[in-house]
Amino acid sequence: MSLRRFVLKRLLSIVPILFGVSVVTFALVHLTPGDPIDQMVGVNPHVTAADEAQLRARYGLDEPLWQQYLTWMGNVLTGDFGQVYSSGLDVSGIILMRLPETVVLGIFGWVFALAIAIPAGIYAAVNKGEFADTVSRFFALSGISIPNFWLGLMLILIGALIIDLWPVLPPSRQPLYHPEMLWYLVLPGITIGTAAAASIMRVMRTSMAEELNKEYVTAARAKGLPERTVVLKHVLRNSLISVVTLAATLTATLVAGSVVVEVVFNWPGLGRELIEAINAREINLIMAITLFTGVLIVIANMIADVLYAALDPRIRYE
Amino acid sequence: MSKGPTHTKHGITRRRMLQGVGATGVIAVSGCLGGDTDAPIDVRLEVNSDNDDRVQMVDLIASSLEETGYFDVEIEDYEWNDYTARVMDPEYAENGYVPCIGLSGTFNPESFCNALHHSENHGQCCNLNGIDDPELDGMMDDARYGTDVVEDTDLRRERYDEIWEYLAEERYSSITHFDLVASVMTTDVHGFSTYPFSESLFSYGLYAPQDEQVMWIDESAHPDDTDLSDLEEGGTLRIGAAENPDSFDPPYSTDTTSTMVQEFVFESLVRSDVDGNLYPWLAESYDLLEVNDVDRTDYEEYMITVDLNEDGLPETDEQIIVQHPGDDPADGEVRVLTPEEAADAVDDGVFGMQFRYDIREGIEFTNGEELTAEHVVATAERYENSDLSAQTYDSLLHAREVDEYTVDLYAQIPDAEAERELPGLAIHSLEQADLDGDEEVLDPREDTEPIGTGPYVFDEMSDEQYVEYVRNEDYWVTDHGVDSFEWFDGPADFPDGPVIDRLELEIVPDNSTRSGALQDDEVDITYGLNTEDLDGYDDSEDYVVDAIEAGGYEYIQYPMNVEPWDDDRLRQAVNHLIPRESIVENVLNGWARPAWTDLPELAEENGTTDAAALEDDIRPYNEHDPDAAEALIEEVIEDYDLD
Repeated sequence: MSLRRFVLKRLLSIVPILFGVSVVTFALVHLTPGDPIDQMVGVNPHVTAADEAQLRARYGLDEPLWQQYLTWMGNVLTGDFGQVYSSGLDVSGIILMRLPETVVLGIFGWVFALAIAIPAGIYAAVNKGEFADTVSRFFALSGISIPNFWLGLMLILIGALIIDLWPVLPPSRQPLYHPEMLWYLVLPGITIGTAAAASIMRVMRTSMAEELNKEYVTAARAKGLPERTVVLKHVLRNSLISVVTLAATLTATLVAGSVVVEVVFNWPGLGRELIEAINAREINLIMAITLFTGVLIVIANMIADVLYAALDPRIRYE
Repeated sequence: MSKGPTHTKHGITRRRMLQGVGATGVIAVSGCLGGDTDAPIDVRLEVNSDNDDRVQMVDLIASSLEETGYFDVEIEDYEWNDYTARVMDPEYAENGYVPCIGLSGTFNPESFCNALHHSENHGQCCNLNGIDDPELDGMMDDARYGTDVVEDTDLRRERYDEIWEYLAEERYSSITHFDLVASVMTTDVHGFSTYPFSESLFSYGLYAPQDEQVMWIDESAHPDDTDLSDLEEGGTLRIGAAENPDSFDPPYSTDTTSTMVQEFVFESLVRSDVDGNLYPWLAESYDLLEVNDVDRTDYEEYMITVDLNEDGLPETDEQIIVQHPGDDPADGEVRVLTPEEAADAVDDGVFGMQFRYDIREGIEFTNGEELTAEHVVATAERYENSDLSAQTYDSLLHAREVDEYTVDLYAQIPDAEAERELPGLAIHSLEQADLDGDEEVLDPREDTEPIGTGPYVFDEMSDEQYVEYVRNEDYWVTDHGVDSFEWFDGPADFPDGPVIDRLELEIVPDNSTRSGALQDDEVDITYGLNTEDLDGYDDSEDYVVDAIEAGGYEYIQYPMNVEPWDDDRLRQAVNHLIPRESIVENVLNGWARPAWTDLPELAEENGTTDAAALEDDIRPYNEHDPDAAEALIEEVIEDYDLD
C-alpha cells in the first residue's frame, strides 16, 4: 500500500472515531448532573419550579436525550455549535477566538520539550552510567513528577515576583501574533513542556542506548566513521522512530496540560475556557471544546503514523 | 443565589470579632465518623461536596455531636446540582436528614427567616425540611405585609424581634455564621467613597444594587491619613476581576461581575446606603401617596383564566404579576393578573400602594436622551419575563407616567419592602428599552454598547480578557453638584463626580494568579482571594483589606417532621453543640462572623428595635454549651425511650 493510500485510509478512519468522540462527549456531559439552568437559577428563593421548567423549555433542554443529540449533531455538521446560555454568544466564535491561543502555547511547549529532550537524551545515552546521565535522569524523574499547577505557580513566583523579568498576567491587549508575545510564552511554555520533555528524554535515552549496542553501530565504528557521524546520522535516525510516536501521543498531554497551565498563567485559550464552561455547566461550550480537542489529538496521531512510515521504510501497511 | 440589594459595611474589625475565640475544636475527618457506636440518636448530615468550607464545617459539627456520646453521626455529600435537586424535593422532608446549605440575604430582614421557614418555600428554595408552622408563617407575613407595618416601621421592627425570639425557642434551623467578603487593594488606592453610600468601591460596586458615584485614587497618602484635600484626580484603576461578566444587560444577569460592570453605567430612581437607608437619586424626591388595604385576591375580577401546559406552566406569553392564591394547579388552569389587567385595576383604584417619584430634570443618557417618566415605564416593561422578573414582580404591580417628569410605581399589596424594591430598576434609554433580551441583547460583544446615566461609559473589551470604562464627561451629578442633593451633609470639598479617568477590569479567574498580579502591581484592587492569603495582606503595611458583611450565610435545618426531631428540646440541644466560634476560626480563618442571632448587621435597620438587646437575649440559646445540650438530650431520651 502506498503512503498516499495509507494517508487517505487514515483520514477516512477519522470519521467513525470523531463520531465516537461526539457520542461519548455528549453522553458524558449529559450524564453529569446539572445543566446550565440549574447553574443560572442556583439557590434563589424567588424562582419557582415552574420558572425553571419554562427556562428549560426555552433552551430545548426538556426534550429526550437522543433528540437533543441529533439536533446538536445536525447543527455541528453545519458548523453551528449553538450558543452560550448565560451570554447568548456563539460557541463557534468563542472557539475560533480561543483556539489559536492554545495552539500557539502547545506548539511552543512542544518545541521547548523537543529542544531540551532530544539533545539531553542523546547526551545521556552516549554517557550512559556516568554522572551526566544520573543528573539528567534525576531531572527527568522530577519533570514527570512535578504537578503542572505547582510548577506554574513557582515559575510565576520566581520569574515575576522575585527576579521580575515577566509580568504575572500576559498583556491582554497585545495581539497573539505580535513577536513580543514570544517572551510571554516562555513561562507557560516551560510549564506545559516540562513533563513532555522529561518523558521524551527518557525514551530518547533508552532507545538510543539500545541502538548503540546494535551490530551495525559496531560495523560503522569499525569502518572508521567518526563517532559524531555514527551517533547523529545512523543511530539518531533509528532511535527517533519511537520518539516521534511518543511526541505525537504527547500532544494529548499538552492539550490536557493546557487546561491547568492556562488557568494559572491567565492564558486566554481553550483550556481556561473549558474550566469556566464546566463551572457554569455550559454544555454547548464543553461539548464543542471537547470535540475540538478530540479532533486535534486524532490529527496529531495521524501525523505520527505518517511520520513513522516516512522514517522507517520497512514498515508496511496492510 | 439571588441578586438582591446586598450591602457593605466598612470598618468591621476582624480582630474584635475574634475576641474570645478559643482554639477549640479540631477538623475531623469524615471517615472517622459513623462508626459502630451505641449512641441513641442517629443523625445524618448532608452537604454538597464541592464547597470545601461547608464540608469542613459539617465535619466540625459532626465531631462536636459525636463527642457527647449521644449521637451516631453520618455525613453524606453530593455534587451541587444533585444536592439542590435532592434537598428541594418536597419529599426530602420525610427522610429525617439534616441538610446544610448557604443563602444570600439582603437588607430585607425577611431574607434571614422567610426563605428558610415559610411553608410556601417548601419544595423550592429553601425550606428544605418542610417546616409548616402557621403561627410563624403569619408572623413573617405580618412583619412585611399590611397597612400597619407600612405606616409604622417601629411596629415592623418589633414584629421581627418577636420572630427572632420565636425562632430561638423553636430552633427549626441553625444559622452558623455570616460571611465576610474582602477586597484587597494597594495603599495607593484607598478611600473610595460614594458619600454617604459606601466607603469602598468594591463594597458598593460589587455587592450593592446601586453603586459608587464618586471615587478617587490618592497616590501618596497612607489610608489612615486620608484627607479630601490630598485628592488627586485622574489615573486608571486596574481591577482584578474573578470572572468574565456574563452579561451587560441588567434584567438578564445575576452574577457578581455583571452586576459590578452594570453599575458603572446604570442607575436607579433611589439608592440605598450601607445601612439600607434610602436616598432619592435619579428621582429628586418621592412620596408614598396612598396605601390601600387589599390582598391578592382583590384582583380576582381583573384576572384572566389560563390553561396550564403539561409542565404545569400557565400558557401565556405575558408577565404573570399575580397568580390567584386560591387556585389549585391540579385543576389544569389558574387565574392570573397580567400587565394589561394590572393597569385596569390601577385605573379602578385597586392597588396596594402608590409611590410618586419626581424625576430630576436635565439628566442625560450617554446617547443624548433626557431622562423622563417614559424611560421608567419602558424599563419596567423590559423587566417583564426577564431573568429578574420574579424579583421585580414580587412587589411591583404597575408603572405609570403622570407627566414628563413624574412617574408612579404601584405595589400589589401593602408591603413594607416596596419602598426599596419598586425603584430597584436599572433605568434604560428608550433606544435600548425594547431589546427583547433573547434575540437582541444589550451586549457590546454583539455590538450593542450599554447606554445609561451613570458615572462611567463603556469603552472597549476583549471577552474573558479585559473590559474598559471611561469617565462620563457629561455626568449629571458633575453638572448638578453634590450640593444639589437635599440630603447631602458630607464634606464641603467632596468631589461632584467621578475623579478616575479609566476603569480597567482584568479578568483573572485563578485566585492565586490574581493575588500574584496584585503583589506584582499589575492590578490595584481585587477580591475573592483565598482566606489563607487574606491574613498576609491584612498584616502587610502595603495593602488594605476591606472586609464587609454582604448577606451570605450558612445554615443547617432540622427534620422537624420526623421523630425525635419534632421535639424542640432536641433541636435546641443540637444547636448548643454547633461550635460557631470554632467554625469561624478554623474553617474560615476568622473571615466570617458567628451567628449569635439570626439577624446580621446588614438587616438590622428594619429587623430589630435594638440590636444589642436582641443579641443579649438570643445569644445564650446559640452558645456552644455541651452541658446545657446534655441536660436537654437526657430529657428527650427519656421521653422517647431512645436507649
